Amino acid sequence: MRRAGMYVLLTAIALVFVGPFLILLSAGLKPSGQAVFSFPPDIIPRPPVLDWVKEAWTAIPYPRYLLNSVIYVGATVPFYVLVSALCAYPLARLRFRGRNLIFLAILSTMFLPGEVMLIPRFLVVSQLGMADTFAGVILPGLLSAFGIFLLRQTFAGVPREIVDAARTDGCHELRIFWHVMLPAARPTLAILGIFGFISVWNSFIWPLVVLKDSAKYPIALGIAYLAGITGTDVRTLAAGTIISIIPVVVVFMIMQRHVLEGMRGAVKG
Amino acid sequence: MPGQRWYTPYLFALPALALFGVFFVWPALTAIQLSFMEYDVVSPPEFVGLDNFVKMVGDSTFWTATLNSVLFLIGLFPLLVVAPLLLAVLVNQKLPGIRTFRMLYYLPVVTSMVAVAVAWEYVFHQQGVLNWILTGAGLLDQPIQYLLDPFWALPALILVEGWKSMGFYMMIYLAGLQTIDSSLYEAARVDGASAWQRLWRITVPLMIPYIAVAITMEMLDAMQAFTSVYVMTRGGPQDATLTLGYYIWSAGFEHYAMGYASAVGLVLWVVMIAMAMLNYRITKGRS
Repeated sequence: MRRAGMYVLLTAIALVFVGPFLILLSAGLKPSGQAVFSFPPDIIPRPPVLDWVKEAWTAIPYPRYLLNSVIYVGATVPFYVLVSALCAYPLARLRFRGRNLIFLAILSTMFLPGEVMLIPRFLVVSQLGMADTFAGVILPGLLSAFGIFLLRQTFAGVPREIVDAARTDGCHELRIFWHVMLPAARPTLAILGIFGFISVWNSFIWPLVVLKDSAKYPIALGIAYLAGITGTDVRTLAAGTIISIIPVVVVFMIMQRHVLEGMRGAVKG
Repeated sequence: MPGQRWYTPYLFALPALALFGVFFVWPALTAIQLSFMEYDVVSPPEFVGLDNFVKMVGDSTFWTATLNSVLFLIGLFPLLVVAPLLLAVLVNQKLPGIRTFRMLYYLPVVTSMVAVAVAWEYVFHQQGVLNWILTGAGLLDQPIQYLLDPFWALPALILVEGWKSMGFYMMIYLAGLQTIDSSLYEAARVDGASAWQRLWRITVPLMIPYIAVAITMEMLDAMQAFTSVYVMTRGGPQDATLTLGYYIWSAGFEHYAMGYASAVGLVLWVVMIAMAMLNYRITKGRS
């Protein structure tokens, strides 16, 4: 009995977190004859239609924005993971001057509010001739204090014997990094890949600042653009928004165990 | 050590250090420099000394934004520091299917703020679910247009921001809860402590370090609220939802007052560092 009550409570809370998405989904699938808003709410589309999905697909250059987001993810995620791993390896395993200083400097970027850096970083990117370019959107995202922090922990935990064995075989550091460290850190690399995908797919403010040309928008900016067009039908907006979150939700559902474990690992460190 | 020259570690760190220099150090120095300048992007920057800071003191819009950000900070506290601890206790139980509930509570964290903002516009609609619930329960006589109402717009945005991030804070607490030795609870139960007492006497004291982390992150989150404001209200109605984050963006990119915007950013930065340090001091003293 207590257990049943617990499930009722858990489900009620789940409804609070999922409800707004269900409302959106329902609005995006309702036929034009059925009211989107009513007292009491009428949630089940009768029948569900894909008209608004098609409408959203053409109201803005939807496929283009999806492709852009894929490009941003593809160009950011592998390189940010690599940059993080390269930096984390000596921080974890090699002894050298300035090691703590470098680590602290990079960690300090976590406490830099994004809004404060918006203007000066935009000016720097402009001076480098990268305003309104893909490079301007991508490059600042390649440095991740979180990634370096997490990989440093992982590398530090790789057993000494394996590394020493590789050293006595005459491997130089780059080979050890590539053939010993990276394979050992595979789970962490996967976590960083997922987190990177989610954060780049959802990125909004920085592309908003860097990009002038709407043809380069990632999907999140595309949705804001669709929402801002006066006269966009509420059903079209709902349908467009739902499609935009499907990739991230699917990846999260499949990888949820890794995502949640990864968060726990990060906090424990 | 064979295979390692003195510069090997630096070569490994070089890409990260280069990015750090170009996208953090250089902009940070630029921000400090710009704070003492007037710069409208078109004409070259002009040194104006402390003018931007003097202007800030007399700028009522700046103070409105500051007040709103403080209200954000206060309003998000129960949503991101308190409620997630209770949620974490709830999903820390050993029940079949508990992972699914954790995942569902975490869902808003992985979706974009833009999508979340759009979804909540439907919830907040005059004929939407929230008004239906509140009028049905007799808490409201009339449906409210939350986002157009100067009183309700800010609480509505705080609710959305809190709702989106709650799952994230829950996971931070969950990580902490799983480090607590369950025999402590057993002992307390044997001594006849109620669930409430166990929460207050065991969980909360042991969770102080995690609560400190949550408070620091809550401050960063609250001070940076931007996307929800941009999508849902654009700072309106009548500046009711104008936050410092939005004000900096708007001053810089809508009014091209780059110098002034940088000065506001610098002040925000200093205040945030001070708050983080204060928080660190207080919690350090307690634990």
